[in-house]
Amino acid sequence: MGLRQKITDSQFYRDLVQRRATGALRTYYDVPAADPTRPIMDTEFIALDLETTGLDPKRDEIVSLGWVIIRQLGVDFSSCEHILVRPTKELTESSVVVHRIFDSDVANAPNIKAALELLLPQMAGRVLISHHAPIELGFLGHACKRCFGAPLQIPTVDTLVLGLRDLHRQGQPFKSGALKLDNLRRSHNLPPFRPHNALSDAIAASGLFLAQVSKRDPKGVLELRRVLR
Amino acid sequence: MSIELEEIAEFLKQHHPFDLLPDDVIESLPKRLTARYFRAGTKVLSPEQQCLHLYIIRTGGTETRDPNGQLLARLSEGECFGVRAMFRKGRAANNITTLEDSLCYLLPEKDFHDLAGKYPQFNYFFAQMGGDRLRRGMQMIESRDDDQLKLMSVKVADLIARDLVSIDRSATILDAGKLMCDERVSCLLITQNGDEIAGIITDRDLRNRVIAQARSFDEPVTAIMTDKPISIHPDDYAFDALLTMTRNNIRHLPVLKDGKAVGMITTNNLLARQSLSAVYMAGKISKLNDPADMAKVIAQVPELLSHLIEAGATSQNAGHIVTTLSDAATVRLLQLAEEKLGPPPVPYVWMAGGSQGRQEQTAISDQDNCLILDDAYVEEAHGAYFKALAEFVCDGLNDVGYVFCPGDMMAKTTEWRQPAKVWQNYFNKWIEQPEPKALMLCSVWFDLRPIHGTKSLFDDLHRIIVSRAKDNRIFQAYLVGNAMTHHVPLGFFKNFVMIRGGEHDSTLDLKHNGVVPIVDLARIHALANGVDEVNTFDRLRAVKAFPSISTQGASDLLDAFEFISITRLKHQVRQIRQGHAPDNFLHPESLSAFERTHLKDAFSVIKNLQSALETAFGKSGT
Repeated sequence: MGLRQKITDSQFYRDLVQRRATGALRTYYDVPAADPTRPIMDTEFIALDLETTGLDPKRDEIVSLGWVIIRQLGVDFSSCEHILVRPTKELTESSVVVHRIFDSDVANAPNIKAALELLLPQMAGRVLISHHAPIELGFLGHACKRCFGAPLQIPTVDTLVLGLRDLHRQGQPFKSGALKLDNLRRSHNLPPFRPHNALSDAIAASGLFLAQVSKRDPKGVLELRRVLR
Repeated sequence: MSIELEEIAEFLKQHHPFDLLPDDVIESLPKRLTARYFRAGTKVLSPEQQCLHLYIIRTGGTETRDPNGQLLARLSEGECFGVRAMFRKGRAANNITTLEDSLCYLLPEKDFHDLAGKYPQFNYFFAQMGGDRLRRGMQMIESRDDDQLKLMSVKVADLIARDLVSIDRSATILDAGKLMCDERVSCLLITQNGDEIAGIITDRDLRNRVIAQARSFDEPVTAIMTDKPISIHPDDYAFDALLTMTRNNIRHLPVLKDGKAVGMITTNNLLARQSLSAVYMAGKISKLNDPADMAKVIAQVPELLSHLIEAGATSQNAGHIVTTLSDAATVRLLQLAEEKLGPPPVPYVWMAGGSQGRQEQTAISDQDNCLILDDAYVEEAHGAYFKALAEFVCDGLNDVGYVFCPGDMMAKTTEWRQPAKVWQNYFNKWIEQPEPKALMLCSVWFDLRPIHGTKSLFDDLHRIIVSRAKDNRIFQAYLVGNAMTHHVPLGFFKNFVMIRGGEHDSTLDLKHNGVVPIVDLARIHALANGVDEVNTFDRLRAVKAFPSISTQGASDLLDAFEFISITRLKHQVRQIRQGHAPDNFLHPESLSAFERTHLKDAFSVIKNLQSALETAFGKSGT
């Protein structure tokens, strides 16, 4: 773990940014972060995926968010949410090709601030699950700074990192693409999934997470910090 | 509904009984589900554990065992467990363990009962499962209406519908007639000294022996009864009862236990509905005079087998039924031989060995048989008769479709047509001075079953085999050495090792690498422990009680044997359906992933128990 990340994950940093936060982010910070020494079984998670107009959090924007909550290591489908976000700029052709979200789709969608006001209460006190978390953290962090004046701090599990650790532990060279969400899922005998949108990817990551945890923690006693990134 | 939940709905729609629910209901279901993941070997539920959800398997597979460890069911994708708990106030009834990494969808108990309350078809499916389907487990013939199978799974005792109607032998014909009238029965048992059986009278006897003969009603009932009627034991299968009735052309069969009458069964009990092809085939064979005609009946065996398997027969059921037909052909040929050659000069018994002896025949079988003659046999005086008899029957069986044994293990070979004392010498030699090669050849003779003739001739020999083999460690070690020559087709990494090149390229030999090793294991444990059964299932069940094999090991081997045997039978049925000649060579790709995993498991069970065998009996020098 890099020094920078150590700092941004620390309680000190959290206290610092919390004071600057406004609105929904402030309320978010009022709920204490998930305790890394608690068992995973007792921790609640939110598997999240988002689609964007590009890969640069500074320049590009979020166009959709999908999430699902995990309680007691069960994916609760009743908590599924998928929301479109109206970007400030017109969508470019190259991004539309990727996520198939058109200007007409998002014309009446909430803007990013309204979307975050729906999402942040769901994230409070929970742990983020994402496949390749830097993207989610980068975009959400920038959006929070813009809308609520402070960055986002949330304990995070990256299923890609867990997958990488598993492959390293096996000590075998792995093929390119082995860390793709679908391939990792297949290695755990999970059903194939068709990536449709942010929610389908979030659900796919949640299933992979359950599998990765069950391999590490057959008795249900493992502490949260053992899977944090 | 969003697209990803639609996928869950699609999955449910493809699986029974969810497919019976209206579309809008299925589409509302995914939102109520929770997904959970269990890695292979996880105990998901155990008896009395709280279980507030119905588990639907999305991927993977599980095993259900009752609290005593008896295997009840194996479930795979789209099947449900935790059903019993739904009907037991949320307390699980059985042990559920994952066999593979499994993803399950959990439906809350309340939603389950809402659905069950609203949709009778949904409720019916699960009520049946919760009620008794799982309890009766693998051997249960699931909701399949095949009478033949019911007869195979039902014991005679279960068929006795009403209290026995009987009358003491001191009664008159009039008393008997009145009682039959009052009790509305078509036959009456005549007893003496309480419940000891003296005879039987039927409607037909009243017609033929009383009215037609103008006999006085005051005569004792003993005057018209049939003495010492043919009877059956309550533990016999209903199938055997029907067979006995067909063979003897009778319609009533008393059920006797320890010489006391406990009930009566009639053809009506058995033949309420439709034709029972195996029984009729056996009946037909027993009336034919020409092997060529019998061949036509036996030619339908593959067809019969595919019906049985499709109807969900276990391999033990199928083996029993198919063997019954070769027994029938053997008996009929012997009767014809005696008609042709005259009565035998000295008593004999015709014995079946190998798969016929074990009652494990399949669509393809050759003949293994021998003759045990009374010790009064004199070569010069009687040799020609028995040579002619054996040739008649062996040639006849060959014509019927049971081809000659390639090793000449047949009664037409002089060596295998000998008086009991010679047979005793044979077995003494095999057991006391075993030679590996000779043993391998004669293993078929350790699975003998009398088919026809004076069965007591075999009794003495049988006693000797069972008692000598039990005490001789060297003999056992040689048997073990022999058993080790059949390797299981599993590689170091639990991959299948397939046949390379030739006619059967990339296949597994289910007979020699699957069935035979288990048959060998069962035989060794049975002989070493003085168990006199010959059927492999019976042997394995019997040896559970002995220390040479663990109870778990014997249970696993039973499961493995059933799985490999049924896989082999299904393979043969598939070939028959496609118009090919059945064989034992299976392409693993023709199995589902789930079946392949089970097959590997079954092979590893054999491998483990082969190693355990070496430890238990020592390794021979072979």
